[in-house]
Amino acid sequence: MSDPRTPGMSSVPQAAPVHTDSTSPAVEMDPVEYTLRKRLPRKLPKRRNDVYVNMKTDFRAQLARCQKLLEGGAHREICVHGLGLAINRAINIALQLQASSQGVLQLAANTSTVELVDDLEPEDPDEAGEHLTRTRNNSAIHIKVFYPDPQ
Amino acid sequence: MCETRLFLVREIHMKMSAAKVKMRGKKMRNQPSSVQYVESGTQNGGGGDEGPSSIHPSTKRQTNTHQRGGWVRGHQKDGGGYSREMPNYITAGAFARARAEEVSTMLKAVTKTTGSCHVFGALPKHMRRRAMSHNTKRLPCRLREVANRMRERSLQAGPKKKKEQAKRKSRKARRRHGNLLLEFNRRQRKNIWLETHIWHAKRFHMVKKWGYCLGNKPTYKCYRSCHRAMSGHCLLQDLSYYCCIELRGEEEKLLASLSQLTGKETGPTFAAALCLSGRRQGSVVVYRAGQYPTQPLGPVTFLWRPRSQELTNRQLWIWAHPTIKQDLLLELQMVCQCCDPVVPPVVTPAEVFPTLQLEPKPEKTSDAKQITETKRKRKCKDASGPPAKKILGDGTRSPSTPVTWNSSSNRIVISDLTMEIVRYRLIGPQSFSVLAETMEAATVCNEINISKPSHLWWPEQCKSESKMNLHQQQTHVFHILKGIFSTGELPSGTVLGLTVDDPRLTLPTKKVKALPCVRPAQEMDEKRRELMLQGVPELCCQSDLWEQSVRSNVADNKTSEQELNRMRNEVLVPGSRLSPTPPQGRVPILLVQQPGKQVGNEMSSWGAGWDLLLPKGWGMAFWVPLVYRGVRIGGLNMSLKHSQNKGAPHFPHDYPDCPAGVRFQEEQEAELLAKFKRRPPAKRTNYIKHGCLAPFCCPWQQLSEECELITTEGEEERRGECQSTTEADTVMEEMTSYGEIAETKPLSRVVVLRNRKSLRLLSGWCRATTSKGQKSCRVGELPPLDRSAMTVFLTAHRMSLVWVRLSVLCKGKPELHAMVCVPTAEDLNLLKKKCGSSGPQEPPHRDHFKSSVRRRKKEPKKAAQSSWCSDNIQGKESVFSTEPNPTTSVVLNSSSSDIILGLWPDPLPSITSNCSRVTLGWVTQGDFSLSAGCGEALGFVSVTALLKTLFNQPMEHRGVLLLRNPTSLHYRFAKINIEV
Repeated sequence: MSDPRTPGMSSVPQAAPVHTDSTSPAVEMDPVEYTLRKRLPRKLPKRRNDVYVNMKTDFRAQLARCQKLLEGGAHREICVHGLGLAINRAINIALQLQASSQGVLQLAANTSTVELVDDLEPEDPDEAGEHLTRTRNNSAIHIKVFYPDPQ
Repeated sequence: MCETRLFLVREIHMKMSAAKVKMRGKKMRNQPSSVQYVESGTQNGGGGDEGPSSIHPSTKRQTNTHQRGGWVRGHQKDGGGYSREMPNYITAGAFARARAEEVSTMLKAVTKTTGSCHVFGALPKHMRRRAMSHNTKRLPCRLREVANRMRERSLQAGPKKKKEQAKRKSRKARRRHGNLLLEFNRRQRKNIWLETHIWHAKRFHMVKKWGYCLGNKPTYKCYRSCHRAMSGHCLLQDLSYYCCIELRGEEEKLLASLSQLTGKETGPTFAAALCLSGRRQGSVVVYRAGQYPTQPLGPVTFLWRPRSQELTNRQLWIWAHPTIKQDLLLELQMVCQCCDPVVPPVVTPAEVFPTLQLEPKPEKTSDAKQITETKRKRKCKDASGPPAKKILGDGTRSPSTPVTWNSSSNRIVISDLTMEIVRYRLIGPQSFSVLAETMEAATVCNEINISKPSHLWWPEQCKSESKMNLHQQQTHVFHILKGIFSTGELPSGTVLGLTVDDPRLTLPTKKVKALPCVRPAQEMDEKRRELMLQGVPELCCQSDLWEQSVRSNVADNKTSEQELNRMRNEVLVPGSRLSPTPPQGRVPILLVQQPGKQVGNEMSSWGAGWDLLLPKGWGMAFWVPLVYRGVRIGGLNMSLKHSQNKGAPHFPHDYPDCPAGVRFQEEQEAELLAKFKRRPPAKRTNYIKHGCLAPFCCPWQQLSEECELITTEGEEERRGECQSTTEADTVMEEMTSYGEIAETKPLSRVVVLRNRKSLRLLSGWCRATTSKGQKSCRVGELPPLDRSAMTVFLTAHRMSLVWVRLSVLCKGKPELHAMVCVPTAEDLNLLKKKCGSSGPQEPPHRDHFKSSVRRRKKEPKKAAQSSWCSDNIQGKESVFSTEPNPTTSVVLNSSSSDIILGLWPDPLPSITSNCSRVTLGWVTQGDFSLSAGCGEALGFVSVTALLKTLFNQPMEHRGVLLLRNPTSLHYRFAKINIEV
């Protein structure tokens, strides 16, 4: 699967967690031949205290959302997830939360690898081209932000 | 005397509104005509015919007073100050005679009743009561007698008028089952009911559209919750009104015929390898045979039946909107050379269900044999006595047996499977969870059932080893798919065939919300991954739904509700699953994944879902269990919103180049115009003042013609400049070029640009960005937008429109038929200075037609008035009526009677240059987008004008356009996106 990818004409999945292509535009496939369509990353059921960070929503809004969850009293801990480009932002949010709590909150970060699926649709006029699917990996981070137990 | 009167009358008319005049005319109907004279005559001393008389000392003062009193109602502004020479003297005898005459006429007038001869008229308003007309005793005594008399008279007159009506049956009789069925059958003769009609009719606003009764939107408020369902859970729609056309034949011949209908530049066609294998559903825009890129018909989706050993022929289903079905069928018959109608074997349905067909409507292609056949059926129905038992299914629908055509030359068979297959659409990420919870893969029949021969299809299937193997595999895939959380994670267009148990057996007692059950299981995970990558294997896409015989067998042997209820009654633990499954309780189905939003960068896979295909008759059996899984139900309204959020054109709204789209636009225009006219004139929007030429219908043809003209003129001008000709020459040249265009190049019909490569190019030139104005990360090596590239592009795509999405930059909610305009340099400066600038204003226009409309309105009034006083003033009338208003007559001559205040009369002036900003196109769908969080509009713009605009715009503002609603003068900045 050393096939290079299409530049442009790609669709970035919108839903949280946002990921961006780790391997960047340095590609040299003929854009006429294939169209790249990225499928959504695999989703798992979400608890109320899971926060998936994306790059579309305003940073402050996402931070405020996390603060609300923590200060609402319902949750002792929240999980901030970020995929790809959003890893940075997830870390930022977690650190901001910690800073604003005067050190009461603690962090525990985990990283993981997420498998993403791309579809390559043939664009050739005689329509004999094979439909390709390939996978690539992207990094993700899961940060647990929690109040430590009193003892 | 006559003069005075005339003057007075005219004056009255100047001051009174039309309604008042009418009222007055009615009142005066029975009055002696010269009563008028009383007031005018008193002061100036008799009639004008009396000749000179003595000087009246206080002429002036009295003139004023008489203006106040008298018959003229309402405020008199100038006191009617007409200067008229008063007679110098009056003769006593003549004067007295005249007065005597007047007194007598007055007396006569007093004794006669005026206009309304109702008794209540005699009562002051505050004493009138509605009930008086029923009960005369509520009237004061003095009026009672008269009222009684009148009442008797009206009662005598009444029954004569009333038509003899057939006596209506009692409600109980009407609701009796058989009668109810007859009534239902009568009501769906004209517009076909879907199987879920009664369910929908109880909850939806129904509309009669395209020959069907369809639910438009629910009676309850659910706009937002439906949107939430689409983006979070599941929304269900009944799409059974979509028509299915089946083609059977050899693959090469089918493909050869079908290739005439499509253009390869628009994307994958019928021959796309993946679709051809039957593993994916495809979609394509169909054109008239060999006419690509002009004359499109509309979009269709298609599904190939997977290849199998026992079948040499391929089978293809084409799903089309009912508005294009007829055209498509004709086109298909032409390209396949199939025009021999085949009468389907009619024997079986008549024998299996002798009471099935109710009012057989002979199809236009049916021949004599079929007619006799239907007659026989009717007879036997009459003989059997009770009317049909089945409401749903094919019982009450117009039982047009699928008309089939085959061809002698290439053995292709076309059959029309309209209403043969039920199609439900589930939209939303949890669609599959809902499906998985509703349906269970069919249980295999036990040994006893297998051993004995059966007329049902499933026990027969159970005998075959290979069929059972297939069933096992399909069930396995179905179970794996349950582990996938969201519908968007699957390859788009995936097909899965399956056989399921009757979902009514597992109907929960209460509505529950279906939730996904994603459990991490190692070995499942591997398989799931494989499935995601490879898609459903070709073998599993096979379904028995493709078989006509199985379909009819399943439809005919459906367990009735009554039988099910009896079974429920016998179950030991109430509410538990009914087991064992009755042998007829298995249904073959097809599941087809619907891709969500595929174009553009944002909201990818929004609105993805599954389509559920069922054999006819099983509609309600699946509908209710689905509803019990907590889905929302949407109507036509929601499918429009769905495609709007997907950024996809919706058929037939957004296909202005298709015949169905044109028809739709005409209907929409008539509807909007009627709505506009229903408002009182003073409360209507004056679209002329808003500078909106076409608020109800977009004249695409005129727009693109004008754009073409402007570009050619521009080129001519440039050439003229190069040749350094004088201005006059240029003008001359322009005129000649105009003439040339008009003569030599007959401008073709407008088309929508669907060529993918060109769209991609255009999209790059628009600098595709996200709606929030973020820069797209990757724009490949596109040829820069320069003059040569532009000319090449434009010569390839003349007279074309392009589908665009416009996201409003800050405020504003675009509406239907909002104008897409080009910002001027100052506007862009405004935007540069302040990013959140709300946008420029359009200076209000003048309505030149208003005065003429007013004058025209007065015209009939004048006519009425002249006829009214014609008996008195025959001599003067000619003078009076022939003081013509030149403009009025001009307007009357120039435009026919259809001038409506606030709308441009028909030959529209130049569309592009009507406003201060050049118009590029119009919006066909616009709303506040709940998924994007800002106003979003979808519409078409002229390619020619768009390219020119883009070319002239500076790089940092490329793709910024203006949007203006027809009812507003405010322009809003919007970003253009062309998504491929």
